[in-house]
Amino acid sequence: MMPLMGQVNFSYTGQLAAAAGVAEVVLDFSDDAVPLRRVLDELASRHGSKWGELIFDDAGQVRSTLLVIFDGAQVSGDKEDLTLDGVKSVMLMTPIAGG
Amino acid sequence: MPLTDLDRSLYEWQLDVPGFGESGQEKLRSSTALISRAGGLGGPLAFSLAAAGIGKLVIAHAGDLRLDDLNRQILMRHDDVGKPRAESLAATLRAFNPQVEVEVIPENITEANAAELVAKADIVFGAAPLFEERFLMNRECVRQGKPLIDCAMFSLEGQILPIVPGQTPCLACLYPEIPEHWKRRFPVIGAVSALAANIGAMEGIKLLAGFGEVSLNRMIYFDTATMRFQQIQVQRNPDCAVCQHVSL
Repeated sequence: MMPLMGQVNFSYTGQLAAAAGVAEVVLDFSDDAVPLRRVLDELASRHGSKWGELIFDDAGQVRSTLLVIFDGAQVSGDKEDLTLDGVKSVMLMTPIAGG
Repeated sequence: MPLTDLDRSLYEWQLDVPGFGESGQEKLRSSTALISRAGGLGGPLAFSLAAAGIGKLVIAHAGDLRLDDLNRQILMRHDDVGKPRAESLAATLRAFNPQVEVEVIPENITEANAAELVAKADIVFGAAPLFEERFLMNRECVRQGKPLIDCAMFSLEGQILPIVPGQTPCLACLYPEIPEHWKRRFPVIGAVSALAANIGAMEGIKLLAGFGEVSLNRMIYFDTATMRFQQIQVQRNPDCAVCQHVSL
């Protein structure tokens, strides 16, 4: 789905998509520099506790194993401090193994 | 070692692949690959490497085939149920391509055997269901400077991450700790695991034979629910506990 101006496409993979029951949501923002953390809190409220447990650890911090992808590139640094400035797509990936 | 007439006949169709040729075939034939676990990923991986003419396969897997493995372990048969999985896989591989040497290690990757098993190989394919095993292989591959192709699947999705120590992120760069919520039992359809396995096999073949463009610093992700395929740019973690001191 192509986001319109002000919209950000959030997609989930693996266990996150299974927990949310959807693989993608599109959110509208009027502010460019929305903190990712605030959006994750809102999405956790929307998708339920199981989804939230995959995103946040017991201390309430974004899990170190969560991969955050902005516009096709992994974002490094403290995930608590990220903002969506100019970002059109956010992909949230939890680790998978398989075998 | 130059190719024999049998090699030229057996691999005739792939010798014409641009960039591969006799040189690529020779490199492949002189290479050894370690595959951790003979499952829905490891089986098709081994099969494609054998078909391509790799010199030797080392298959590490403990445990017997169960009936509920058969939706994805496509190199095994109903009458293999209850028998050692790695031996069943090896028998199929040997019958399929007798040119390929197959060594069975009836063990999973552990702290005790990881270094020795990785040392046997020129390249390692990670196809284990548990992150504890994947992390051990990752650590040993980084320590020994061996490439690792990490293959993973979940439901209708797959991920393939080619790791070249010092050049790309390692598994611990992306996941600095064991994921708390990953479970040994997960949903999957066999065609998805075979697809992930074959993409991983192709990345390994290109690395070993030295042709094409390997997806370095890019994780290959696909979702067969929508048939979306993409490469995700990934980066090394300068504070990675495993590879921060490794450089080319």
